[in-house]
Amino acid sequence: MEPQFDVLVIGGGVVGCAIARELTRTRWKVGLLEKNLDVAYEASGRNSAVLHGGFAYDPGTLKAKLCVEGNAEFDQVAEELDVPFKRTGKVLVGNTPEDMASLRRTLETGRINGARNLEIIDKERLHQLVPSVVGEFALWSPTSGIMDPFLYTVALAENAVQNGARFFFDAEVTAIRREDGIYHLTTKQGEFTSRWVINSAGLGCGKISDMLGIHGYSIRGSKGDYIILDKRVGPLLPMPVYPVPSNTHMGIHVTPTVDGNVTVGPNAEYVDDFDYYGVPATSIESLAESANTLWPCIRREDYIRNYSGILSKWVDADGTIHDFTIEMRPEAPNAVNLIGIESPGLTAALPIARYVINLIRQKADLPENPDFNPRRKGIVRFAEQSDEVKAQLIAQDPNYGELVCRCEKVTRAELLQAIHNPLGVHTMVAVKYRTRCMMGRCQGGYCQMRMAQMIEEELGLQPTDVLYNRPGSHPFTGRVREQ
Amino acid sequence: MKCENKDVVIVGGGPAGLAAAVKLHQLGVRDILVVEREKQPGGILRQCIHDGFGLTRFGETLSGPEYAQRFLSQAQQLGIEIVPDTTVLQVSGDRLVTTASRDGLAQYKAGAVVLAMGCRERTRGALAIPGERPTGVFTAGVAQAYMNLYNTMVGKRVVILGSGDIGLIMARRMTLEGAQVLGVYEIQPYANGLPRNIEQCLNDYHIPLHLSHTVTEIHGNARLTGVTVSAVDERCRPIPGTEERIDCDTLILSVGLLPENELSLDAGVLLDPRTRGAVVDQYMQTSVPGIFAAGNVLHVHDVVDFVSLEAEHLAEGVARYLAEGGLPRCESCVRAGAGVGHVLPHTVSGAEDVTLSLRVRTPMKNCVLEVRQDGRTVKKMKMRKALPAEMIQVPLKAEDLQEGADLEVSVQC
Amino acid sequence: MLRTYTCIICPNGCEITAKLENGEICDIEGALCPRGKEYVTQELTDPRRNIATSVLLEGGQLPLVSVRLSGPIPKDRIFDVMNAIRPLRLKAPVHVGQVALPNVLGLGVDVLVTKEVAVL
Repeated sequence: MEPQFDVLVIGGGVVGCAIARELTRTRWKVGLLEKNLDVAYEASGRNSAVLHGGFAYDPGTLKAKLCVEGNAEFDQVAEELDVPFKRTGKVLVGNTPEDMASLRRTLETGRINGARNLEIIDKERLHQLVPSVVGEFALWSPTSGIMDPFLYTVALAENAVQNGARFFFDAEVTAIRREDGIYHLTTKQGEFTSRWVINSAGLGCGKISDMLGIHGYSIRGSKGDYIILDKRVGPLLPMPVYPVPSNTHMGIHVTPTVDGNVTVGPNAEYVDDFDYYGVPATSIESLAESANTLWPCIRREDYIRNYSGILSKWVDADGTIHDFTIEMRPEAPNAVNLIGIESPGLTAALPIARYVINLIRQKADLPENPDFNPRRKGIVRFAEQSDEVKAQLIAQDPNYGELVCRCEKVTRAELLQAIHNPLGVHTMVAVKYRTRCMMGRCQGGYCQMRMAQMIEEELGLQPTDVLYNRPGSHPFTGRVREQ
Repeated sequence: MKCENKDVVIVGGGPAGLAAAVKLHQLGVRDILVVEREKQPGGILRQCIHDGFGLTRFGETLSGPEYAQRFLSQAQQLGIEIVPDTTVLQVSGDRLVTTASRDGLAQYKAGAVVLAMGCRERTRGALAIPGERPTGVFTAGVAQAYMNLYNTMVGKRVVILGSGDIGLIMARRMTLEGAQVLGVYEIQPYANGLPRNIEQCLNDYHIPLHLSHTVTEIHGNARLTGVTVSAVDERCRPIPGTEERIDCDTLILSVGLLPENELSLDAGVLLDPRTRGAVVDQYMQTSVPGIFAAGNVLHVHDVVDFVSLEAEHLAEGVARYLAEGGLPRCESCVRAGAGVGHVLPHTVSGAEDVTLSLRVRTPMKNCVLEVRQDGRTVKKMKMRKALPAEMIQVPLKAEDLQEGADLEVSVQC
Repeated sequence: MLRTYTCIICPNGCEITAKLENGEICDIEGALCPRGKEYVTQELTDPRRNIATSVLLEGGQLPLVSVRLSGPIPKDRIFDVMNAIRPLRLKAPVHVGQVALPNVLGLGVDVLVTKEVAVL
């Protein structure tokens, strides 16, 4: 029988989407199965949103190599995919002689890894860079940056779709079997068949690996909580500020977002429930307390929201955290198994994808797709334009003159584009993250009714059909008066 | 880009903006523009369909939409220009107002600007209630808009956190539409809403009010499945061991309103950290000359009638500012003394009559309100009760005041 | 017997203590105005409330139009009146004061439109 796909990617995180996108450079028929209702729903969309420099990983590891590679190419990637990115640089701030020794070691590791232009700076220089920080000296990494991990993942996915890949949502893989050289993947959306399978399932990588017949990985979730601060404090933080890293944890840091907010976090705790994103009160307090010693500008009245993310780590019984594992194994022919893809997976996503494809090339011919277009256009944001461009946008499309979200100044035109997104995703959160509507200080107090109404009208849904983010997340129970 | 001159640009066509417009017209100011972002003016009153508005201003009890319509009809009769579906993008310190609508961007050079943007609700994020982020958690005003404007029902088994008036109103509203409201939980030892709303929205429907309680956790990862509530101590900290899990699909938050001053900040207007509204003098002029503020954008009111009255008073200041090219200097500060949460205006001239608006910090019975200036009692009022939920108005006569000395208001038992 | 009431007539919300004997008010304390006594008398004999809700609107700029009653109804009839209002439908345009349902359930009060809504 002829399978539906040449290759199926399991998992629509940033790495899965990058793999799908890079695979569309070939003539293979590419599919992607995602258990959630949109891409980047788990770790990819829930992190510090930092483009890492590559100095925090042991020399010789895939983490170090692929991170440095991903960092170096990101200006071009951001330009091609039309996603927000700022190479802000970042500082790791220290106070004691031990801190200094630790930062010097980090600097040396970075040099070996190929991270560029690292230097130790004194207090004066530190305060020139970040006047509001508390600290005696710092390691300065000018190539580090900030990005929007959600939009980056969406851009990779949309570019993949534009180049012929097909994405399927609400399609958790529950069983895999291989017959006559063809994989059969069972999901809620039916059975999918493919010659090749790529396990890029993030927190689910252990389960999928078992389904593929590759056993023995102990995958642990490392949960980190964050607080988001109002844009009012954004101007006080020009770049991410980190403490001196420990062996296992980057430390609680403060990070500006590309949209002008500030995030505070994360703590780190191993969890068994990979589906629980609640943030405990104690966490919120300790995050603020810890980060305030570094950057004393965190005040309760500026909290607009909190969130958490769970990193997928391959951890041994003795606590050793493994490097990224990207492998082909005899137990599962024509499958690439990605295990323990955690930080810096966001920075390294495209290099990881190329690494995967190079593995495939060892066994299969991958003819080039002559029609591949690496460029993708995002939604033009009204709020970020000059008055002249704003006027032009409205003249071209009057929907740009109708403001739906007052805090983030998002227009009807942007919402329409997001509702009719190329991935065919139709949750409220999909529209929210693509446009920033509902993400401002009023948290949807003004705009969410309008967004919900537009989703209903544009997609012909009843209120009870609308979903917020995941299956079962109905915001509405019906109509007040039946029509 | 279109650019026009206007005597007055009013940002917002809600109760404050409309009352200011009508009054300005009556005072002879004709070149007025009201900028309204919605299709229909009226602001939040469009969704406040319950009755009880207008007793002070009109001597009868009206629903919110009817109350707004009174002013709107008047504005329309007077031919006041109201541009709907138009959002103000920016107000500059030199009173250049930039707007966006489907027709494009426009700019107005205004003789005076009236800030009347109202307020927004405090959200869950600002409260930092721990737990997951399921759907079914709504602020009271959002639930009200969904139900009363969008014909959308938000839930069936409801817990309400906070005893603000909108939450109380929604307890009744949802009960009438068939939802089961299980209880209202208030972290303070006293209710935040007006006593009559406790009576007619909760007691009438046997909905319990739990004081000194709060929601300490939210459950469910898709739709809300329940909340944990706990008793709190006198410092509002949850008391371990008092947790109770309540199964519900909806949590309504009625935990406060915040003046919406983003445009004001852009214009350089100084804000009061307590009210989170502008610092104003007795003419409702902000720290930026020619920019005025009234209504909920200035400080959150309990009753809309006072919003209208405040805006009408503002109109007098604006008209005088335009006619005389400025206003008398207000150099006496008004300070909140013992028992007082905040008091407006922030400065007075001492040479003219003025009405102070204030709220007390905690509920008091049989108390005395006193206004003192320079060690001298200007006014003394006995009050049977004073509640934080209620705004207290204190008229002062010019002859009782002197120029140049600060005032202090206190309410004590 | 002493009973306390919270007057709902105006935002003052006076807390009124009434001294009752054989169901009659013989003394009243706490009301700032005469309406307080009227309210307590009414509450004692025949408690009444006004209600506000919505009616489905066809062809209007809004899907619903708000309504209230022209006067208060007995408290124990509130849900009956809600049931009578629920099936109503109006066609846009509608105007403030328009009668959506006259003499609801024979209680002597009308259901009145409280909002101007134009045709879509």
